[in-house]
Amino acid sequence: MELKVKDFESALKSLEEIVSQLEGGDLTLDRALELFEQGVKLSRFCSDKLEEAERKVEVLTRAADGTMKETPFTPGVEGE
Amino acid sequence: MNLFDQRKIYTVLEITSEIKHALEKFGIVWIQGEISNFKHHTSGHIYFSLKDDRAQIKAAFFRNNNLYLKFRPEDGIEVLVRGRLSVYEPRGDYQVIVEYMEPKGLGSLQLAFEQLKEKLRKEGLFDEAHKVALPLLPRKIGVVTSPTGAAIQDMLRILKRRNASLHILIFPARVQGTGAAEEIAAGVQYFNSRDDIDVIIVGRGGGSIEDLWAFNEEVVARAIYGSEVPVISAVGHEVDFTIADFVADLRAPTPSAAAEMVSGARDELLSAVQSLFGRLFQSARLLIEKRRSALERLARSRGFYAAPNMIRALEQRFDEATLRMQQAMARFTTSLRHRERLAKARLAGIDLRMLIRGKTERLSRSRQLLAVNLRAGLQRRRSRLEVAAGRLDALSPLAILARGYAICRDAHGVVVRCAGNLRAGEGVRVTLAKGELDCRVEGVRLQPGD
Repeated sequence: MELKVKDFESALKSLEEIVSQLEGGDLTLDRALELFEQGVKLSRFCSDKLEEAERKVEVLTRAADGTMKETPFTPGVEGE
Repeated sequence: MNLFDQRKIYTVLEITSEIKHALEKFGIVWIQGEISNFKHHTSGHIYFSLKDDRAQIKAAFFRNNNLYLKFRPEDGIEVLVRGRLSVYEPRGDYQVIVEYMEPKGLGSLQLAFEQLKEKLRKEGLFDEAHKVALPLLPRKIGVVTSPTGAAIQDMLRILKRRNASLHILIFPARVQGTGAAEEIAAGVQYFNSRDDIDVIIVGRGGGSIEDLWAFNEEVVARAIYGSEVPVISAVGHEVDFTIADFVADLRAPTPSAAAEMVSGARDELLSAVQSLFGRLFQSARLLIEKRRSALERLARSRGFYAAPNMIRALEQRFDEATLRMQQAMARFTTSLRHRERLAKARLAGIDLRMLIRGKTERLSRSRQLLAVNLRAGLQRRRSRLEVAAGRLDALSPLAILARGYAICRDAHGVVVRCAGNLRAGEGVRVTLAKGELDCRVEGVRLQPGD
């Protein structure tokens, strides 16, 4: 069974379901193995997402042609 | 009869004008009362009556005077007005021409706040059903606030302290004064026009009710209500409530609290994932244990002796599955790190310069070899030429002539090989090694047998 994980929320939800299925116990060994493998993949996906860091602060400025531009923000420097 | 002659008779207009004049002598008056029969005409003028328990007076509040009213007058509201008394001549009504009005009791801003709140509540802008939950793990936060205000400083300080992995995008907006509300609304709409914003925060630091007023304006409320992206309002201090707070999907008591809300979930989620991971392993181990004990029970049973092969096969299958599961566990816990190390090691092992040096050496060796081969070939060809030239020389008639032989040709230039072909008296040319002789045949001597 191929995993289709796009976002953190659904991955976490699937992981919870898998764990409770495994904890429910009533599974064939092969099915349990399959679920276990999926669970490990999902755990890894979730922790990767949590570690993925994009720490950035930008401020929007309006260019002459009216489009918005993103520039790094330094607190207290921009005047009003 | 005389009495009648002294009567002063007014026309209706005259007496009305007199009354009007008399009333206008009151000058500016302040009147307190309750509004009734309130009408806001399309011309912009407002007409109503002021009343108390026992009396009422008509009032007109013209457009140029009522333009800057913050709150919305309506029936039943107790107000204090300042105005002048006058008469509306076509009707003979006397009335107060209002120049200024303020609500009694509540301040006018407070009243305006209550009125808008009530209006929007009725429209359903505060309905819980419309509110959207924040995403568990927001990535990119759009902040509508003043880039120089206290709010953004507070938020950034919190995010830095929490070491939050967030991308903050600031839409600079004035947060007080004329036009501020429109800028805040524009910010909310702008962030909705993008598709990468997970949460919007609108806010500012603390201040008076006038300072916070922009967040009580209808245009802001409607922009927040219309937002597809979840909005957190973070205005002023904990005690300050604004219309924006009621419409927003989530109210943060302060800007700092808003920063906590968008960054706080991460640590909890991390421990949740770790705990799920632990339970995953635990339950897998338990599953194996349960089967092992079941198997052991089976092994002790009498059926075991009856069908040992079957048990053995079962055992083998079990071992196989167990092994696969253990391998999977090991694989997954180590694979990524391991693969990374491998890749790094491979990368380090290849020295590009060594590679280039090797190729260069092979190239120059090839060049040398080529030169040697060329020279040898040339030499070989030259000696072959010399041998050929020697052989050619040996065969040359000139070489034969040099050894003392001569060639004799007849008058037609044909080489004479047989004396019988010539007669006495015929001229011949004899070619020697050096020079030629023109001779005449004296006699012909044939060899016997010719």
